[in-house]
Amino acid sequence: MDPSKRPAPLARTLHATLSNHKGSVHVARYAKGSAKYVLTGGQDRTVRLWNPNSGAEVKVYAAHGYEVLSITVSHDNSRFASSGGDRSVFLWDVSTGATIRRIAGHMGKINTVEFNDDASVVASGSFDATVRLWDLKSQNRAPIQVLDDAKDAVQTLYVGNGTIMTGSVDGYVRTYDLRMGQLRTDYIGHPVTAVIPTQDAQSYLVTTLDSHVRLMDASSGKLLNDFSGHKLTSYRSRACFGHNEASVVCGDENGQVWAWDLLDATVLSPNPPPKVHTSVILWTEHHPIEDGEMITASGDGTVKVWRHPTSQ
Amino acid sequence: MTSRLKRKLNDLGVDPASSKANENFCLIGTPLPPLEKSKDTGEFVPLWKQDVRDEKGRRRLHGAFTGGFSAGYFNTVGSKEGWTPATFTSSRSARSKAKTARPEDFMDDEDLTELRDSRQLVDENEEMDFVAGGTAAELRRRGGIGGEEDEDSITSALASTLAPPAQDSVGARILKKMGWRMGQGIGPRITYEQRRAQDFGAEEDVEVDEEARKHLYPRRDTPLIIVPRKDNSHGLGYTPGMGLVESLGQGASGSGSSSQAKGPRISAGFGLGALNDADEDDLDVYDSSLPTNSRLHHSRRVAYDENEDDNRITMGKSGSSRVQQSQNSRVGDKTQTFGDGRPVLKGFILSDQPVVGDKWFPIPDPPAGWRPNPRLIWDKENAPASSSAKRKERAEPKSHQEWKNSLLSVDERGSLLGETPLPSGPRSVFEYMSSKDREKLERIKHGIESGDIHRPPSPSQFIPQRSKDTIGAEGQIIIPQLHPSIAKAALSGFQPFTSDPVKQSRYTAFLQFTSSSSHDIPTSTSTGLGIGPMPDQTVEAFNKELDDYAKAATVFKPLSGAMAGRFRSAVVIENGPRIIEGLHTPSASASSPSHDREGEGMEEEKTEDPRTAAVRLGMYGPLTREVSVWVPAKLLCKRFGVKEPEVELDELADSAPKAASNVNAEFGDTSGSASQPLAVTDGTPGLDDGSSKMKKAEKRNLANIGLGEDDTQGADTLTYQRPAMDVFKAIFASDDEDSDDEDSGEAPTETAVVPTEAVKTEIEKGKMKAEESSVSLSSPSKPNEVAEKIDLATFKPTFVPRSERHAKEKDKDRDREKERKKKKKKTKTLVSFDDGEGEEGGDGGLALNVKPEKRKDRGRDKDGERKKKRRRGEADEDEDDMWVEAPPPEAVQNLNFDFTAASGPVPIFGMPVEDSKERSQKDESEGLMGPPRGRKRAVDFM
Repeated sequence: MDPSKRPAPLARTLHATLSNHKGSVHVARYAKGSAKYVLTGGQDRTVRLWNPNSGAEVKVYAAHGYEVLSITVSHDNSRFASSGGDRSVFLWDVSTGATIRRIAGHMGKINTVEFNDDASVVASGSFDATVRLWDLKSQNRAPIQVLDDAKDAVQTLYVGNGTIMTGSVDGYVRTYDLRMGQLRTDYIGHPVTAVIPTQDAQSYLVTTLDSHVRLMDASSGKLLNDFSGHKLTSYRSRACFGHNEASVVCGDENGQVWAWDLLDATVLSPNPPPKVHTSVILWTEHHPIEDGEMITASGDGTVKVWRHPTSQ
Repeated sequence: MTSRLKRKLNDLGVDPASSKANENFCLIGTPLPPLEKSKDTGEFVPLWKQDVRDEKGRRRLHGAFTGGFSAGYFNTVGSKEGWTPATFTSSRSARSKAKTARPEDFMDDEDLTELRDSRQLVDENEEMDFVAGGTAAELRRRGGIGGEEDEDSITSALASTLAPPAQDSVGARILKKMGWRMGQGIGPRITYEQRRAQDFGAEEDVEVDEEARKHLYPRRDTPLIIVPRKDNSHGLGYTPGMGLVESLGQGASGSGSSSQAKGPRISAGFGLGALNDADEDDLDVYDSSLPTNSRLHHSRRVAYDENEDDNRITMGKSGSSRVQQSQNSRVGDKTQTFGDGRPVLKGFILSDQPVVGDKWFPIPDPPAGWRPNPRLIWDKENAPASSSAKRKERAEPKSHQEWKNSLLSVDERGSLLGETPLPSGPRSVFEYMSSKDREKLERIKHGIESGDIHRPPSPSQFIPQRSKDTIGAEGQIIIPQLHPSIAKAALSGFQPFTSDPVKQSRYTAFLQFTSSSSHDIPTSTSTGLGIGPMPDQTVEAFNKELDDYAKAATVFKPLSGAMAGRFRSAVVIENGPRIIEGLHTPSASASSPSHDREGEGMEEEKTEDPRTAAVRLGMYGPLTREVSVWVPAKLLCKRFGVKEPEVELDELADSAPKAASNVNAEFGDTSGSASQPLAVTDGTPGLDDGSSKMKKAEKRNLANIGLGEDDTQGADTLTYQRPAMDVFKAIFASDDEDSDDEDSGEAPTETAVVPTEAVKTEIEKGKMKAEESSVSLSSPSKPNEVAEKIDLATFKPTFVPRSERHAKEKDKDRDREKERKKKKKKTKTLVSFDDGEGEEGGDGGLALNVKPEKRKDRGRDKDGERKKKRRRGEADEDEDDMWVEAPPPEAVQNLNFDFTAASGPVPIFGMPVEDSKERSQKDESEGLMGPPRGRKRAVDFM
């Protein structure tokens, strides 16, 4: 293969460790835009805002009564929503640190929450096997719509432009196409923990609990590539695309961060990767813009920022 | 009036003609009484005339300017002068007369009456004052509150305290008036003897007085029997205070003696030492329990007791207690009372012996060698349910269960009697249970039966048990007894072993065998039983299996019909492996369940979802994908900035081509039928066609109409069949009317309906052309295009000459009319309604028949009949064009002639007449551009 087409090596140099969380960190999200900040949420019922560059904690958002399982940031970085064990979605104002709104309605803990493009709708997927779509423009307390097709807990959500993708423990990835009025159900066969589509929405990456990450064709539901080698059987973990979607990155239960070439599904060196976290890696997110930055959130209570040694 | 007087009056300046001068002062007859007196008081008076007056006729309500409510000094003080300062006068001398002011003093008469009324209300509930008679209100009325002022309050108060008014009932008052006195009996007076006779028994020591015999005596008062109310829960005859000894045998006498022993009560107080003897004076005279001298009080209670303080006739406690006490005290004198407290009659004594003694028989002696053996009884109790053999031994009295078994079941009896079975299928309760529950139940049963054998099964649960002796027989197949009815029912009911076909078949075989065999005979052979032990099964295990089947049959036997109808079975979803709960109990069927499980596993693999298999093989794609319709909420689409998907429209799109093809088919049909030029003439079929088409048109989606995609567009226009002539005749034409009248009457209606039509109707000479123009004008461009598309190759708009057409259309009996029309045509004076009808029908501008052949015919005919004009020639040259681009200029040209005919839009048409030539040329040039132009022209015309 042409070396120029090889994906850039993964940023594997530890740049900063964000370790203020008391328990395991369930989610770590980059802010939108230039993504200068990171929001993390954990078992200690707080959401924390970090500057990954300096490794300093900027702010703590404490209102949750239970663990924080999911965070989503609005397009303008002015608000974010978080959810978790307290069965309601909390809508926060970033600067004041106060909750703007608390949206209750789910029957179980909310595993995932996601804004749509203009943050006018927030979707929440819950243990109660439903996805509820909440209107943020009105004060209506009832959801706009409830997607109750899932047979088991909804673990992951993706809200794109005109599509909503859900992955649930029943092993299905459901794509709700608003334009077509279609529901495309893809049976993966194993509990789905993360679904991330590619930029062009032609394919999507599915992380399942059989220690596989699969790249599926969105239009036909065919398997494009299968990435394996890591160990992921019982924790929700999230595989993501590397820079330019040239690679696939996933943290596993042993605390290793695996990277695969997207095209030939070979494990990028080093193989096997070093163990960088003492516990399971629960969230992996690559910087949306920059090449050499990536964060991993782990069950050991730390969030680590990885960079290329050159980019420092 | 005389002339002189007139003159005189004139001189005085009085007009003699005035009424005053002519007034007559003579009264003739009796004047009517003034109206005032005869005025109806209840007469309606308008509100503003009404005034409020009190009962004395004083006006109490005044207007705002005259003082308001009860204002003015008249009402304030009660005197016209109002308050006048009184000069001081000493009241010293008149101190006795000084009264303390009462509230009544400050009340006016209204308040007083109010007070009185309120008091009266209260007093009605009060007791009656019997001395004065009547209620308090009566008294007051009698006394007169106002009038008694001179009587001193102090005296009255004194009088009331010293001599409180005796109270008496009305009845007592009446009796008193009749000569009755307190303490006497009611009735005429009686002689001394009689009275003595009355007193007999009460006293006998009265010396006979001579003098006494001379008088009549009032009767003794009737004794009042007072039944004490029983307000306790003691037994009858029980005296609460009695001790054990008293309550037993000689209780009454004992109590009597004890009370006797107590002696008279000595008044509590000082001056009486413990050693002092009680004197008569020391007796507590106020002690109510003490027997007093009064005979009346002794013997009976009297209705009107003078010593009684309260006047009431109380049936309550106080009186009764007194009576009891007196009785008790009297009983003390006599010796005995009955158990219920009544005294024993004089001269009698209570017997100690009971009237009838209980009979006691001596206990029979046990036989000589007998020794008690309780085991026998215990065995008897334990035996019957568990062992059927023993039961059989002593089987003479059948147990209920047995008896029940020997009878037919309800269903059987019903079938014997030929009843139709209840509509609901027989169903078992277990059908409504989930498989898990069933499993559990089964397991519990297993546990019970295998776990504690000693426990006797409850008789209600008649699970067939193998008798002990049969159990003893080793190595023998025992078929458990099961009532055939149960077996039958179980056959039709729930099948518990469906998951294991082998077991199920064995179960069914067993049931069939049992149901066919005669009941109640425990068979010990497997003859007839279609199944035997399986190769790897011991006889014992097989027996156990059969037992299980029998149990299952009893358990899963369906409900009786009456009950079954009330349930509806839910869907039983069996998924997931069976979970064995609790400790593993090695039962005899342990081998078969394991077999079961294996079988299930196999089955599961067999029935595995194809998707799962696909996933296992990594064959993601169409196998693992499912696409379904999902309707996002409208608001969601709005929020996402996405157009709503038209899911419904998709379905409609499916149906739309169908509709189009239908219409096309129709079109073809009609064109086929139209090849016979006379098809139009038979009226009713045409009508029917039209209506059916209308129906079909209704099916189409309204939203599609007028859109380019709509293939059916204009089809109805093109395929329209003109209704029969009769219809129009019936509606518009009257047979007797002149054709002129008809025309003049009808042209306006047409113009009114469709203005574009009017254009056509104006045209006098080239009717054909007018029709053409109407085609192009009235129908929008698209239908024309469609029509062209369809028939472009063969299509030629031709016109049937009116006369010919009419000749064909008309019935023979309308010859006269036809002739008239022909005449009319020849004169060409007017647009006849018939013509209009012929072309457009009742449907306005859409009514034109576009059947090509017909049109062609018509055109030809017309050509033949009429002289060709220039434009007509053009039309012949390229008829398609001509049909599309209507030539209204001609119409305009001919407008001169038309004015008379077209009533409606004539003035509008009048204007372009002058330059009709130019216009026609212009129009022609425009006409080349196609139908839209034509439409524009129509607008111009209007």
